[in-house]
Amino acid sequence: MTLGLMAGLLFTPLAWAVLTLLVDFRKGRVVTWLGMAVQMLVSLGLWAVVASDGGFLYLLGGWQAPLGIELRVDGLAVTFVLLTAVVAAACGWHASIYLDPDKAWHRYFWPLFWFLWAGLNAVWLGGDLFNLYVGLELISLAAVGLVALGGQADALRAAIRYLMAALLGSLAYLLGVALIYGQFGTLSLAGVTALLNSAEVPAGLSFALVLMLLGLALKTALFPMHGWLPPAHGIAKSPVSALLSALVVKASFYIAARLWLDLGGHLGSYALAQLIGALGGIAVIWGSWLAFRQVKLKQVVAYSSVAQIGYLFLLFPLTWGVSDAISLQAQQGITLQVISHALAKAAMFLSAGNLIMSVGSNRVDALAGVSRFLPFSLFSFGLAGVSLMGLPPTGGFAAKWLLLQASLASGQWWWLGVLLAGGLLSAAYVFRVYQASFIDDTDIDHFFHPSRSLEVIPMILALLSLGLGLMAEPVLSVMSLPFEAGRGQ
Amino acid sequence: MTLSTLMPVFALLTSLLASVVIFALPERGYRLRTVINLAAAGLKIVLVGVMIWGVAQGREYEFAFNMVPSAEFVLRADALSMLFAGLSALLWLLTTIYAVGYLEDSPNRSRFFGFFSLCVASTMGIALAGNLFTFFLFYEMLTLSTYPLVVHRGTPKALRAGRNYLVYTLTGGAVLLLAIAWLHGLVGDLRFQEGGHFAGVDPSLHGPLTIIFVLLITGLGVKAALVPLHGWLPQAMVAPAPVSALLHAVAVVKAGAFGIIRVVFEVYGLEAAEAMGLLTGLALVAAFTIIYGSTRALYQIDLKRRLAFSTISQVAYIVLGLCLFGPLGVTGGLVHLVHQGIMKITLFFCAGNYAETLGVHRIDELDGAGKRMPGTSVAFTLGAFGMIGAPPLAGFITKWTMGSGALAVGMDWVVAVLVLSSLLNAAYFLPIVHRLWFAEQHQAWPHERRWGRLETSAWLLWPPLITAVLMVLAGILANVPFSPLSWVELIVAREAAL
Amino acid sequence: MFASAPFVLLAVLLPLVSVLLALRTSWQQAYRYCLPILPMPALLVGLLAGSDWGLELPGLLLGGLWGVDELRRVFLLLTAALWLTCGVFAIGYLKDHNLRRFCVFWALTLAGNLGLVMAQDVASFYSFFALMTFAGYGLVVHEGTEQANRAGRVYLAMAVVGEMAILAGLLMAVQLAGSGLLMDLPAAIAVADRRWLIMLLLLAGFGVKAGLPLLHFWLPLAHPVAPTPASAVLSGAMIKAGLLGWLVTLPFGEVSLPAWGDALVMVGAVGALGGAALGLLQARPKAVLAYSSISQMGLMTLMVAAALASSEHSVVIFAVVALYVLHHGLAKGSLFLSTAMALPPGRWQRWAMWLFIALPGLALAGLPFTSGAMAKLAMKDVLKPSGLGFTLAAYLPALMTAGAIATMLLIWRFLWAFGADARTGTNSPGLWLGWASATVSSLLLFWWLPLPPGLPVKPWFAVMQAQAWSLLWPVLVATLLAGVAWQIAQRRK
Repeated sequence: MTLGLMAGLLFTPLAWAVLTLLVDFRKGRVVTWLGMAVQMLVSLGLWAVVASDGGFLYLLGGWQAPLGIELRVDGLAVTFVLLTAVVAAACGWHASIYLDPDKAWHRYFWPLFWFLWAGLNAVWLGGDLFNLYVGLELISLAAVGLVALGGQADALRAAIRYLMAALLGSLAYLLGVALIYGQFGTLSLAGVTALLNSAEVPAGLSFALVLMLLGLALKTALFPMHGWLPPAHGIAKSPVSALLSALVVKASFYIAARLWLDLGGHLGSYALAQLIGALGGIAVIWGSWLAFRQVKLKQVVAYSSVAQIGYLFLLFPLTWGVSDAISLQAQQGITLQVISHALAKAAMFLSAGNLIMSVGSNRVDALAGVSRFLPFSLFSFGLAGVSLMGLPPTGGFAAKWLLLQASLASGQWWWLGVLLAGGLLSAAYVFRVYQASFIDDTDIDHFFHPSRSLEVIPMILALLSLGLGLMAEPVLSVMSLPFEAGRGQ
Repeated sequence: MTLSTLMPVFALLTSLLASVVIFALPERGYRLRTVINLAAAGLKIVLVGVMIWGVAQGREYEFAFNMVPSAEFVLRADALSMLFAGLSALLWLLTTIYAVGYLEDSPNRSRFFGFFSLCVASTMGIALAGNLFTFFLFYEMLTLSTYPLVVHRGTPKALRAGRNYLVYTLTGGAVLLLAIAWLHGLVGDLRFQEGGHFAGVDPSLHGPLTIIFVLLITGLGVKAALVPLHGWLPQAMVAPAPVSALLHAVAVVKAGAFGIIRVVFEVYGLEAAEAMGLLTGLALVAAFTIIYGSTRALYQIDLKRRLAFSTISQVAYIVLGLCLFGPLGVTGGLVHLVHQGIMKITLFFCAGNYAETLGVHRIDELDGAGKRMPGTSVAFTLGAFGMIGAPPLAGFITKWTMGSGALAVGMDWVVAVLVLSSLLNAAYFLPIVHRLWFAEQHQAWPHERRWGRLETSAWLLWPPLITAVLMVLAGILANVPFSPLSWVELIVAREAAL
Repeated sequence: MFASAPFVLLAVLLPLVSVLLALRTSWQQAYRYCLPILPMPALLVGLLAGSDWGLELPGLLLGGLWGVDELRRVFLLLTAALWLTCGVFAIGYLKDHNLRRFCVFWALTLAGNLGLVMAQDVASFYSFFALMTFAGYGLVVHEGTEQANRAGRVYLAMAVVGEMAILAGLLMAVQLAGSGLLMDLPAAIAVADRRWLIMLLLLAGFGVKAGLPLLHFWLPLAHPVAPTPASAVLSGAMIKAGLLGWLVTLPFGEVSLPAWGDALVMVGAVGALGGAALGLLQARPKAVLAYSSISQMGLMTLMVAAALASSEHSVVIFAVVALYVLHHGLAKGSLFLSTAMALPPGRWQRWAMWLFIALPGLALAGLPFTSGAMAKLAMKDVLKPSGLGFTLAAYLPALMTAGAIATMLLIWRFLWAFGADARTGTNSPGLWLGWASATVSSLLLFWWLPLPPGLPVKPWFAVMQAQAWSLLWPVLVATLLAGVAWQIAQRRK
């Protein structure tokens, strides 16, 4: 059972990637629907298995590390797998209606989409540094391709820029990996951790960690390395932007977080933790402020991602040198933030896409009257916004609550300011959009009305993000299930 | 999951589901929307009524589950929550009736009623919340659901008011969140409990608890419009009349006041708060707010603005009552929660009627309106006298109990504040009453509409008349069981018993 | 039967419920004819229910108790009777303009006035007092003239301040007494630490209504501008509500307060003489009467002062005060009503009319064999300086005599002003009936009304004969002075 699920999870995306490569957009769409259904079921099944029996270590092909591929199937990983399935399916579904099938280059959307999905699953489950790298590269390349699908010169320019950043990040990461490998002779995270625990930490090895984190931070667009993100996310097609903001940046962060939690205790330092946290804090404030200043709707949403990603980096200071309970609280908070941001941001980009399609302009001030004639899309946008603001009862709030608790308990009260100010600033940019849409200066409905399913998809995502807050406890309980090594081979 | 567990949930869901259904309805479904609205409001009254009866018999209704690790979502019906829930259920029905008439033929009704129901759901949640965490949940939900109502008209003025409203309330919300989180970190998840938690608390905690108290009151004080956090309120009156009525009478300002009540009573506990010396400062703020609001109201020429400043002043009564830390003063403050609601909603309904029927917004345009709209004007007059505290209306009961309470604990200066505020109230309400009844109409009404035989649409006329009657009854029959005063006495007795 | 709950409630509620007649414009004529009916149940209660009954209304306000004792019975009789006659008068007097509004405020004021007399708990008493005050505003400004509005503003401003003083005083008293019943207040106030403050607040608060000097500014403005039947009840009945307020709250009979007695005597003297002096300067007949009311209230204040100063006399003094109230109320009502009467064309009728206009006035001055004579004698009887132990008591007889002279002067001034102002013409039946019944009740019915039982029992008729000269000479002196003044005035022309 488990074996089948794992196989399904890992190979469906790759198989579908190849399949869709062979057909045009319209056929690819039909094929993809099927694949999404399979993927969804598999993810759900795996999640259910882990939720009932606990996590396990899975060795691909039965070979032991370092030769084989080692997969960690724990509660957190399956939760992210499921999240990926939900968000990617939503985006894929949206894209299948949203994208114009008559543009020739759109046929590449599906293969790229599936490669991306495969890469994501690889990252969530990856147990050693090199596999993680492979997954990450897969994601990056697919993402760059997707951005380039925008088609115009601007899109290509943004894609190139994105590619540069991604490569640079990979390079730094790889360098760090090489240093680790040189020191310990293993790439398995568990192995490295075990060695670190047993032996004296060689001086200078912190540099490896810093290098890896630097590379990953660049890929995650942490301030001040965020320059590539807004153009790329802003210019891409809306479903693509949603995928990028919701999932892609989370992949690199996920790796960074795992490195930190496993190795940070030995290789990190208080100063490093605080520095990363501070960068995250600045990202929250600066990103929100820039989001508030944007005139284009999608740029607002893109800068909002910069800000929201900033929150994630509070993980570093809040887990370094604190008690396990506080660390757990912080981890739970960050996990919730990842999930709720993924859902909310996807919802926001998709509904922003709908709005732009309806008003025929991507400017915020073109939204006047939308509230009257397109309340549904606006409502999804708003609900997603509520989660970004961290207002109850959304997942964003639950995350913020846990982070507040962790900051208070660890005595690092300065993060309170970031958390609260960030919420207020995000309210500022969300409500700016709302306000524009409430201007009631026309009695004629001159808007294009997107099809019902286009409107429903972001609504579902937004509602999930809302429900996450109410259901945070059960969701978190799956994530923290005990991990049993060696089972399920 | 017995029925008594689920009762609070049902009470919440009636308006929540109504809101969802209404959002889904097409703009044209006028009749169906009205039916749903009224049915939900009626159902809620029944549910709340059943719970009130049960609570009076000593039954408990509670629903709880863990939402976030270490933080519970608790809905609970106790005597205090029923005071607020009863008020909001009752006034929701009336306001819905009024709003149906008020928004006849205007655009965006679906949106309006959807958020309107959401707003009431939040209010119900605030009433039923069993701990600060849950309270905060609904408190912020209220902010969000009222924003679209405030900016409903979509004019630049409305949008500006909405922005201001958000700046104030969201900032207040952030401060509140900080305080709640801090408190939570300090002492864990605290359910509201009669008599409070901090009766014999470790003196080393006094310092942080004091700071948290100040933060809590600041966060809540924004909505309760305590000076100097009141700036949003007078501007928010650009909203349509039913919204202003709801905002001022039950929803927003009361949410703040109710929160302060919960914090002082059931988190800190009156005695502990007094022992830590937290209440004197609060009393001074409230007293200042009372006088300040009344004084500012004197200078307003726009009717709704005058009413708005009056609200600032009146809501501070509730807070002041709490700070009198004797059972009588507390009774006065609590009962004003209901009384002020009924009185202020009457006044706003009437102001809306003048605006909608005659196009009158300014006070000096009201000359002779009593003859044209006697029903509305009678209601307005009663409301105004109630606000002044003229007996035997509801406002008098408040003033009397609060005054007695103040004297009982030797805070005589409070009586002076009450008297001064009454004088100011008289000074800004009586001229309006004079204009209504005794001034001759000297110009045509700015924008008159006719509704056949009645002075205005029946939808608009009945709600203020009903609330006016309620206000009179709340005063005259104050000593009858289940009157606001008797209910509050029950609450206070239960608080004191522990 | 008449003291039963339904009937008492009817007596108070009838005027309140009558407001429903204002729902339709077409009912306003019917409402006009209902005005005299409104106080009738209350009159029946006053006449037939006897005194010392109580009615508990536990659900009302903060727990209600209504009832009538000997003192209140007199107030009730006066109030009901005067409102009844004035109601009859109003039928003829009122014009159709704003008729509905007038009737509503009339009924509300009446309800307040009746209710406050019967209320024995603080909350209802204060409620009815406020109702009367605020509804009375509607009567004052009814004419809608600039003058009326100004009078109304002053009335309202002072009334609200007065209400607040009362509220504060009552709050403190109730707090000390631990009871919401009026009868428990005096004892509590008597022993209060801040007795001075409570008493000051109550004296001033009720003093506004009673037209105490310096608190009286509204009175000469408001009484004259109101429609005549309203002026009559304002000056005849409502002004007494302030007095009743004093009588039921201040610590009479509990403790002797000579200092307060002295102070109040001074205030009363200023009111009695100063009011008269100012009244003499007035040209409008109703203004003269308004100042006369201030002057008369000053005289009553003297009695209040005496009662306050010597606790053992307070019961008797109360009875005399009640008598005086009854007498003054009826006479003043009649006088006010007469200002709206037109003189008949025929010579004899004219003289008869003058006579009946003047007689209640003469009664005020204490002409023998009038109600005033009895009141004056009784007052003299109780204010004998020998029994009263406070400094200024010695001046009381002189003050009373001066008061009588001043009163008579004012009456001459009134008649003079009235003569200058009077129209010749016909009066509608309503006017005739109202004025006649007021005059008759002042001159004749007074003697059949149940008098306060605390009054010293005396063969009043014989006493009047015996004291005729002492009663008459102030009247004559005043008449002489008036004659001189008239001569001077004539010569100047």
